[in-house]
Amino acid sequence: MNGLLKVLRLAPWILFGACVLISFCGFNLNPIFIWLTLLSFVVELGLVAVKKGLVFYMLRRLGEALVTLWLIASLTFLLLRILPGGPFDEEKALPPDVKASIEAKYKLHDPLLKQYADYLKGIVTGDLGESYKYTGRNVADIITESVPDSVQLGIYSILVAYLIGIPFGVWAAARQGTWIDALLMTLAISGVAMPSFLIAPIFILIFCFGLGWFEPALWLGPAYYVLPTIVLGIRPAASIARLTRASVLEVIRSDFIRTAKAKGLEESKVLFKHVLRNSMIPVLSLTGPLVASVLTGSFVIEQIFAIPGSAKHLIQSVSNRDYPLILGMTLLFSALLVIANLITDLLISVIDPRVKMS
Amino acid sequence: MQKWFTLTLALTLLACTKKSLEYGLDIKDTIRINCQTEPPTMDWTKMHDTASHMVSINMMEGLTGIDYDNAELPATPKLATEWTTKDARVWTFTLRKGVKWSDGVEFTAQHVLDGFERLLNPKTGSTYSYLLFPIKNGEAYFKGEVKDFSQVGVKINDKGQIVIELVKPMSYFPYIMGHQATFPIRKDIIAKYGEDKWADAGRIATIGAYNLKIWDHDKNIVLERNDNYYGDKAKTKNILVYMINDYSTAVNLYHSGKLDFQEQLPSNEARGLKTDPGFKQRPMLGLYYYGFNVKKPPFDNAKVRQAFAYAIDRKQITDLLAGGQVPLNGFIPPGMFGHEADVGIHADPAKAAKLLDEAGFKDRSHFPRVTIGFNTDETHQRIAENVQAQLKKNLGVQVELANEEWKVYLNHLITDAPNIYRLGWIADYPDPDTFYSIFLSNSENNHSGWTNKTYDNLVAQGASELNKEKRRQIYLKAQKLLTEEELPMLPIYVQTYSSLISPRLKNFPNNPLERIELKGTTIQ
Amino acid sequence: MSEAWARLKKHRAAVISAWVIIILTLIAILAPVIAPHPYDEQFLDQVLASPNARFWLGTDSLGRDMLSRLIYGARVSMAVAFFTAILSLLIGTVYGAASGWFGGWIDGAMMRFVDILDSIPSLVLLILVKVVFDSFSLISEPEWKSMTSMLLALSLVSWVTLARTVRGQVLQVKQMAFVEGARAAGSSSLRMVGIHILPNIMGPVIVLLTFQIPANILAESFMSFLGLGLQPPFASWGVLANDGWRTLRSFPHLMISPGVAIFTAMLAFNLLGDGLRDALDPQMRGRM
Repeated sequence: MNGLLKVLRLAPWILFGACVLISFCGFNLNPIFIWLTLLSFVVELGLVAVKKGLVFYMLRRLGEALVTLWLIASLTFLLLRILPGGPFDEEKALPPDVKASIEAKYKLHDPLLKQYADYLKGIVTGDLGESYKYTGRNVADIITESVPDSVQLGIYSILVAYLIGIPFGVWAAARQGTWIDALLMTLAISGVAMPSFLIAPIFILIFCFGLGWFEPALWLGPAYYVLPTIVLGIRPAASIARLTRASVLEVIRSDFIRTAKAKGLEESKVLFKHVLRNSMIPVLSLTGPLVASVLTGSFVIEQIFAIPGSAKHLIQSVSNRDYPLILGMTLLFSALLVIANLITDLLISVIDPRVKMS
Repeated sequence: MQKWFTLTLALTLLACTKKSLEYGLDIKDTIRINCQTEPPTMDWTKMHDTASHMVSINMMEGLTGIDYDNAELPATPKLATEWTTKDARVWTFTLRKGVKWSDGVEFTAQHVLDGFERLLNPKTGSTYSYLLFPIKNGEAYFKGEVKDFSQVGVKINDKGQIVIELVKPMSYFPYIMGHQATFPIRKDIIAKYGEDKWADAGRIATIGAYNLKIWDHDKNIVLERNDNYYGDKAKTKNILVYMINDYSTAVNLYHSGKLDFQEQLPSNEARGLKTDPGFKQRPMLGLYYYGFNVKKPPFDNAKVRQAFAYAIDRKQITDLLAGGQVPLNGFIPPGMFGHEADVGIHADPAKAAKLLDEAGFKDRSHFPRVTIGFNTDETHQRIAENVQAQLKKNLGVQVELANEEWKVYLNHLITDAPNIYRLGWIADYPDPDTFYSIFLSNSENNHSGWTNKTYDNLVAQGASELNKEKRRQIYLKAQKLLTEEELPMLPIYVQTYSSLISPRLKNFPNNPLERIELKGTTIQ
Repeated sequence: MSEAWARLKKHRAAVISAWVIIILTLIAILAPVIAPHPYDEQFLDQVLASPNARFWLGTDSLGRDMLSRLIYGARVSMAVAFFTAILSLLIGTVYGAASGWFGGWIDGAMMRFVDILDSIPSLVLLILVKVVFDSFSLISEPEWKSMTSMLLALSLVSWVTLARTVRGQVLQVKQMAFVEGARAAGSSSLRMVGIHILPNIMGPVIVLLTFQIPANILAESFMSFLGLGLQPPFASWGVLANDGWRTLRSFPHLMISPGVAIFTAMLAFNLLGDGLRDALDPQMRGRM
């Protein structure tokens, strides 16, 4: 029974790993599988929360997140009403009565409060209206069609950032003061010192046209995934490496570890088991800002590598004055960020032994 | 152990299906092009952007087309086999028999009338409704003054021909029938799926050489050869359209062998690719000009406008861009009827300075602050900076540059155009009227505020005149008025477009209207 | 304070970086003197020339000397980064101090607003603010318009951490004062700020600002990438880099020099920031 329980506890991670691996090999993931993975995470989180008495705290955080989202939606709505330039100005001028009939169709002249109410109602029901520019297409459809690729890129990049950053940071901390430490930290700091739209063309030149290993654009399979993921993941990896190193060093110096060492445990055991566990907490708390950084960076990466994600919609919709799409996109990205912050908080509350019901 | 194995297998099977690259198309029978951005719509009555157009011209046709093999670019029969007129005012089009839409429905004359009605209907909201204003009661129907479409001058006679009655004689009317906004429409399909939703794969019906097979929004469009096409079937089976926004990315894909054609390369890229085997550059029937806002000083004074024209050497600009652009001093680009090589003002700094003195600005410090406005773009930026430098050098005048985002810029053009504003214009049809009509007093595309009865009359005359030589003389007068005397605008150059065409494509379209009709292109 | 200084001097990388920054600042200030050509002079027969004896770093697509553009670019980039940092310092300090001082529900509301701002990805905010501000015709000269909207947009996305730090300090001091009963003395609230808050805050704030500057340089170059960057004649390194990256294959010199410049500046500021943080506020190492 115990073995089965262990498997069940690990289940979400196994499923998640399977998702990542399968999608990376160029297969289409069955949506049921994704829902299964998400469900298993939620169940796991719920169980742990109950065990630690954190249910109320989690629900409260969830409520706060929803309120934040509502406020963001309202703020964006207001901001957009200030933007001049309607959606329908083109190089060949539109006759005024035609323009008027289009504006009537999209209810641009309804009183502001009514537009706001309709807008909020739409968000709740999942109807985000129709795009002005892409006539006939629902904003909700545009989002659902473009989000998977963006999320895929984002998850790969964050994973790569952790998979590179943490080992580098630990290694540097273990070899503190040596040339290895200096080298790794120099690499790390270089990683944050160049804009990605400069790194990308250099990598493309070297790895696609020089060595012929990868593809320079599009998002169709592993050969396409590698370069964008790496370029997007460099900056977060560097931050994680630096923070990990600092965090590990701090934990090493703490009394707890000194006592453990005094008790005579081997150095490597001490390092990998206790230090790692305790130093991961500040690193985990970085997830929120990390997701924000990846979201921001994805704009550039998706543009350069022609990845059909959601980022370009945000930028283009602003220049098109495509109000429904702008609102939908802002909500989408903010929601992603809010969720990331929420998950980070929840994870920390679960892992950090010091956090009780705050 | 066994449990683990079966579990993993079950998981894997549950999880996936293999991704099909490039929709499983045979690359040896597929032309791959890039339309730069997701087409906003495939509804040809309403479309007005290049991405939609690029795809649509391979899918749909109208009564006439253009014969690109003939240097004069005459109208050529498509859905109409011939057309006759006695006075260029009443036109009779004979329709082709036995043509079918892609869903099998027979093409009839009524579909043509339905297309016209939809274009002229104000509720449709097309930007091209004005194309059919020359038809009797066309404009009135659009304005709502005439409610019954049967009063508009379009009829089907008892021989099944379409008879169109115009308000005034118009020698180039057949070209209008080749503009996609006038193409036939299937009202039944629109009624079935809705105004905004009928033009999608699986619903749309078309008549052209290719059918819309797949529209994977924001990713790709797949066009497949129409085997029921009335003419010569398309040589290549598939067209795969990408929607890659960034030029350098598209060029990368071209070099990695994933893209066969990329058009409209920006000047820096074009310059760097000149030695590439697939590089091609040709002038278009398009203008790049700087308009003057003649309602505000100092450009309310024609002498000042002339002075500026004398001060700017167009050749310097085209040399700078090195994109094969042809400097233009006149108004009609070479290759189009009505082009006159000697018309217009050529750079002459001494004369420029003298004219500005005469205009009352001998003391340059009294010259008011003038702004050159343009929409944010690398090329516009460079040209504006060069013009700024030239004006400083040749006229001693310091002008300012103001660039704005496209929508904001358009808004300003309509409400209060900058002193000098940059615009371009690509011919809608290969007739000079498409350019001259920009500066008519009542044209919505005339942002200069310049109105001139003589000019209006000349243009109207030219449109109705059937005799070629007489027409030429009329247009010559108009061109002189425009580019030598009044100068509501300053022509800069004839637009070219630089493109990359993969050597594996043979017989790729090559015409100055940039119409990428691919039915004759083969892959070797 | 002097102890912090000594700690800083030991950090070799930080010292070198400080010198690099000083040199860059000197270049920026002395630009008209050191630059071989005016930054806007177009040598039309030398368009897109590779680096040669006459133009050490080549010329751009209008025939302008890249070296001169780079030197003047130092001015613009440093100025933008610096002024944005100052602006966000002002906004953040006032906001954080006010929030901490007033406390209660005002503090709660103000911090809630800050949380919301944090939840909008910075690039989204940048784009929206820039576009909204640009469409108001408050300033007519286009280059100043783009400059002010850039400064505004950049500072609006970077004042939050500062505000939180200042608020934290103010809250701490309020507690202390409460306990000490110094408040009973009445008018000394401003003095309390001066004596207690400022010295405690200087360290973290200086560190934050030092890290803020490379972040601003980066954000400004991103804005150029999106087409929302500075207008001529203001040509920062970000503008130059954006002009060049697309044609890396055909004209590498367009991208390499601004790229190196950005890299050097960002590296220097980050290393200096690391050194300052280790020297001034060792407790911050766990954060960041």
